[in-house]
Formats: sequence, C-alpha cells, structure tokens
Amino acid sequence: MEGFVAQKLHDFENGKISRRRLIETLTLAATTVYAGGAGAAESPGLTAALVNHISYTCADYKKAADWYSKVFGLDQVGATDHDVALPFGKKGEQPYNVAAKDVPLTHLGAPRPKSSALIDHVAYTIADFDRDKASADLKAMGVENVRNGGPYSLHMTDAFGYDVQISGLANNALTDG
Amino acid sequence: MERFIAGLVKDFESGKVDRREFCQTVALAAVVYGAGDAANAAPERGLKVIGINHISYTCPDYAKARDFYTSVLGMVSTPGKDNGKRANLMFGPEPGKGGSFIVARTAGTEAKPPSKAVVDHIAYTIANWDEARVRGALKAKGLEVTGRDGSLHVRDPFNYDVQISSAAQENAFRR
Repeated sequence: MEGFVAQKLHDFENGKISRRRLIETLTLAATTVYAGGAGAAESPGLTAALVNHISYTCADYKKAADWYSKVFGLDQVGATDHDVALPFGKKGEQPYNVAAKDVPLTHLGAPRPKSSALIDHVAYTIADFDRDKASADLKAMGVENVRNGGPYSLHMTDAFGYDVQISGLANNALTDG
Repeated sequence: MERFIAGLVKDFESGKVDRREFCQTVALAAVVYGAGDAANAAPERGLKVIGINHISYTCPDYAKARDFYTSVLGMVSTPGKDNGKRANLMFGPEPGKGGSFIVARTAGTEAKPPSKAVVDHIAYTIANWDEARVRGALKAKGLEVTGRDGSLHVRDPFNYDVQISSAAQENAFRR
C-alpha cells in the first residue's frame, strides 16, 4: 500500500495526475484495499475475501427491510416487487449487503434443493460497539428479546423471529467459542 | 475518507507532513477503514453496521463443512477453536481488524425458537476476480457450477447454496 501511495504522490508532483485525481485514487485504494488484497497471490484455489451479501427470505420483504433499516440504519436500494437490497454503507464503500427477499416459506422447497444445514444466526459487527448502550438503544427502538451473548455481544430477534447477533471487533475468531 | 485524504494532501503541500508521513498515514487509514474505525461511524439512525462478524452454520457434521470451506474458499480453521463439535473458519482481514468467520457446528439437541425467515444463501466475494480461474478452481474441486459470469453458485456438502461473487459484478448498486 505504501509503495502505491508513494507512486501516486510522485505522479502528482510531476504533473502526471491532478490533485483531484490523486485524492480520488487514494480514497478508492484506501477503502478497497482489503477486498482487493486478500486474494492477490495467484494460487490454484480461491480465497474468500468478504461476505458479498446475505440472502434473507421471508413472507414480507418490506417488513424485514424496514426492521433492518430501523435497527442498523441501512438504506434500501433497487426495490422490486419481491426484493430489495440493504447495503452496509454508501455507493463506492463496502460492496456487500443484506438482500431481503419476499418468497413464502412454503414455496422454498420447490425451487431450491433441500439443505440439511442452516444458518441459524448472523452476527454483524457494529462500529464503536458498547454493549450496554446498544442494549438500551435497541430496547428504545422496540426491538424484541434483546439479551447478552457473552461479554462481547448482544442477541435479539428480528421482525420474523430470526436470531440476530451484534458485536464489536472484540468478538472475533480468536475470542468466540 | 475522501475528506481525510484531501486534508492530508493539503498538509503535504504546505509542508506539515513529509513524504514518508504522507504515505504511512494513507496506508494506516486504509487499515483503520478496514477495521471500521470511528471515521466510519456516526450513524444517522440505528447502529452502524461495518460488516459481517460471523455466520453461524449448523449441520449434521461440522467437520465436513470445515473441510469444504477451508478447501474451496481458502478459509482458515482457527487454531485452538476446533473442539470436535465446532470450528471457527476465518476469512478476510485479521481477527479483530474486520475479519469474518463461519462458526461451523454440529447440530445439538438444544432447540432454538422457530423463525419464519431463513437465510437461503450466503455470497462470498473473491478478490481479483478472473472468470476462467474461478470457474476452473471450482470445477477442479468436483463442484457443479451454476449461475452467471461474476456470480456463480455451488452446493456445499449439505446441499447449502453457496454463491461466489465478483465485487464489481455483484453488489447492491448493480442490481
């Protein structure tokens, strides 16, 4: 990263790129370095860099979307008659999201082969996570079943009774379990 | 971030920071951004989500899931976190700096309250997407690949739908 920054700075100083171009290039590089860097080394296998999106299916996507917008402050983009995307961040930022889909549960078996596994909850990382403050905020929003999930996290149920966990960066693969 | 860098360029031009400081600061900002620093905070409403912390994956045999996700998607089983019933499978940035993980667990006897919603698939972003390379890597694992360019689907050992995506071709703003 530092080498890349030095090169762009050099280009700017020599008039090869404008001031605006320098700022835009460095902003893009700084905000996408993780997504682009993790799999940079050529190898025969693949390397997951990020979660791109979570596909969430329920009986009424609008109800789900409104819940996630309310609790996590997510915008809703690209709504159709059966789904909508809720990106974590603004355009050009982090390119992954929750997509709430409107497919009645009773119809799931038909188009999708049945799985013997399930995602029983998803945990989201919250900026500047403070468990007590978050708990109070959630309760003030009317979120149901807010409860502690160990020292670093909270659990709650969403609009369809789905288990949602939130935590800060302290909850990670080294500390969980 | 853009405002921060614009300020830094100004400081560089006025001599407040030298070349080395400038480069180091931008690099550090990238790390902090990836970790979801307060610069990303300040939510207008609700809690500010900065990423997926983990996905709790329950199945009949966690070891099969562990082997699939480490083999196919290059995840790393966290040392000391495999207890014979569950394992933490890391991917992305380092733990504590924005990294995510799957908790692969064998279904227990404890019952969860029923939900009327399901997560029917998870999509993972592959960095530096190369269509031929990605398709080849999946087929080399003996997987049946469906989907479209930039957005492929495979089934894991428990027939769970796994999507493999290019960030450029699969994101909320390109629907």
